[in-house]
Amino acid sequence: MQVKNSMGDRIFQVVNHMLLLAAVLVVTYPLYIILIASVSDPYAVMRGEVLLYPKNISTIGYERLLKHKDIWTAYKNTVIYTVAGTSLNLIVTLMAGYALSRNFIGKKWVNLYFVFTMFFSGGLIPAFLQVKSYGLYNSPWVMVLMGMISVWNVIIARTFIKNSLPDELYEAAVMDGCSHVWYFIKIVVPLSKALIGVLVVYYAVAHWNDYMTGLVYISNRKYQPLQVVLKELLTSLQVTDSMSQMLGDVADNELMMRVAESVKYCAIVISTVPILVLYSSMQKFFVKGVLIGSVKG
Amino acid sequence: MKKKNRKQIRKRIKNDWQIYLLLLPAVLYLLLFHYLPIYGVQIAFKNFLPVRGILGSEWVGLKHFQNFFHSYYWKRLFSNTLLLNLYSLLFSFPMPIILALMMNQLARKKYKSFIQTVLCAPHFISTVVLAGMLYLFLSPTNGLINKLIVLLGGTSIYFMNEPGWFRTVYIASGIWQSAGWGAILYVAALSGIDTQLYEAATMDGANKWHKIRYIDIPGILPIIITMLIMNTGSLLSSEFQKTLLLQTPGNISASDTLGVYVYTAGLEGAQYSYTTAIGLMMNVINFIILIMVNKIAKKVDESNGIW
Repeated sequence: MQVKNSMGDRIFQVVNHMLLLAAVLVVTYPLYIILIASVSDPYAVMRGEVLLYPKNISTIGYERLLKHKDIWTAYKNTVIYTVAGTSLNLIVTLMAGYALSRNFIGKKWVNLYFVFTMFFSGGLIPAFLQVKSYGLYNSPWVMVLMGMISVWNVIIARTFIKNSLPDELYEAAVMDGCSHVWYFIKIVVPLSKALIGVLVVYYAVAHWNDYMTGLVYISNRKYQPLQVVLKELLTSLQVTDSMSQMLGDVADNELMMRVAESVKYCAIVISTVPILVLYSSMQKFFVKGVLIGSVKG
Repeated sequence: MKKKNRKQIRKRIKNDWQIYLLLLPAVLYLLLFHYLPIYGVQIAFKNFLPVRGILGSEWVGLKHFQNFFHSYYWKRLFSNTLLLNLYSLLFSFPMPIILALMMNQLARKKYKSFIQTVLCAPHFISTVVLAGMLYLFLSPTNGLINKLIVLLGGTSIYFMNEPGWFRTVYIASGIWQSAGWGAILYVAALSGIDTQLYEAATMDGANKWHKIRYIDIPGILPIIITMLIMNTGSLLSSEFQKTLLLQTPGNISASDTLGVYVYTAGLEGAQYSYTTAIGLMMNVINFIILIMVNKIAKKVDESNGIW
């Protein structure tokens, strides 16, 4: 039976659409502005003329950013930390997720051991002292090892594996003399592509955006991650050492200020584009990932 | 009988040894990076000296806690933290629910998933970049927002330097970043509601608004309650990253929170024991609130509650 939409419902629909489009605009416009400002003439940006499209295309910001040595060292570091860290995260999380999807003696206690950490922690200072005592202070390893597992992601992995691989499959494999480790490598991992997609993005984003670990545990500039150097660049109001690295030859003070601002737009672009590309290429997995994680138990 | 049982258990453990092997790295990580720090919390009751180590330092009882409550700044730290979290709960918590209810009204699947993809994107932007964007857009001289204010005949506001604006900036940018992401969970729950309910309601002459009020909201209420419990469990927690990034000498009277204080006094000032005591207090209070709210929610309805 077809029920005609009432007038009120139609108005409701129109208003709903408009509000959602407004939300989309609010989310995308600031990002768009950053992008077009990064390739526009700094003076046009200052005058507030760059609102809809780039004006007087200029790459001066990117050129100057290329001279900022620290940020490129940090960029390279972060790529390494992200690749190494995410690989480690993935292996350990899948292993734990698989194990917890099986029945074994002491499972209840192991579950509690994992979940407790979600609700109670020692806090910043005891963690700092402990990690320092392992000799990880100022070591690049801390950037890879920190956050090796997120319990939340282990729960996602466990639930996914439990729900997508029937018990019969395991029993048949065991009949053929398959061990847990072998079953895990040969069957579970190849059949968990969607899960791996979700985990890669979650962990990679966490490593890429990690500011706190660098701030707390790394003081040697050689090992500093991108976010720490980015912070200095973006939120400093004065001209710092690294800025004079890029802008030292600019004689005019006013021009220097403008270019410094342009560099900020460019830095945001180069540090954010990789993560947004990764996100959009993997986004079909997300709803699934969040959904799996929300299953209680 | 008992002996046989024990034998069986031993046999099963032996059979499943590979399971324990697979768990080992994760268990070790949590031990080293999570449980041993919890053991280290005892320095809150000691006068920790790095040369003496955790065990060698002398006990001082509750001295650090007393010092904190005798300090002139503890009220400011407490109220700043609590207010920031309360306002966040008030304004940020409902936004994903509203967004999800709105997105649920969209009939075309492709359109819906496009909007969802776009609204989730800011979640992946780092806090540092978010702070950088705020400094750029809110700048009193060149910021777009202030340009707009001046254009409309107002005077420009130094948002980042005024205590009165700190919480607004913090929470509004938080909504911009996380509302879309938070909505996924509710959108998924809404799509699980039985469509027969809507058909029956239409027969009874219900309009869209009625359906939202009487079908959608009750349908996702259990998840809303779970999320609410999780959120109240962090009323006194304070992530120090974003606060620290948005803190300026001008807005410090509003942006000085417990988390930032633990970081600055603890790590930069090396007052290890004192700030561990503050951190411990925050954690314990949060934990107690969580347990209490969970109990209350369970009393209302047995199916509520997160455990």
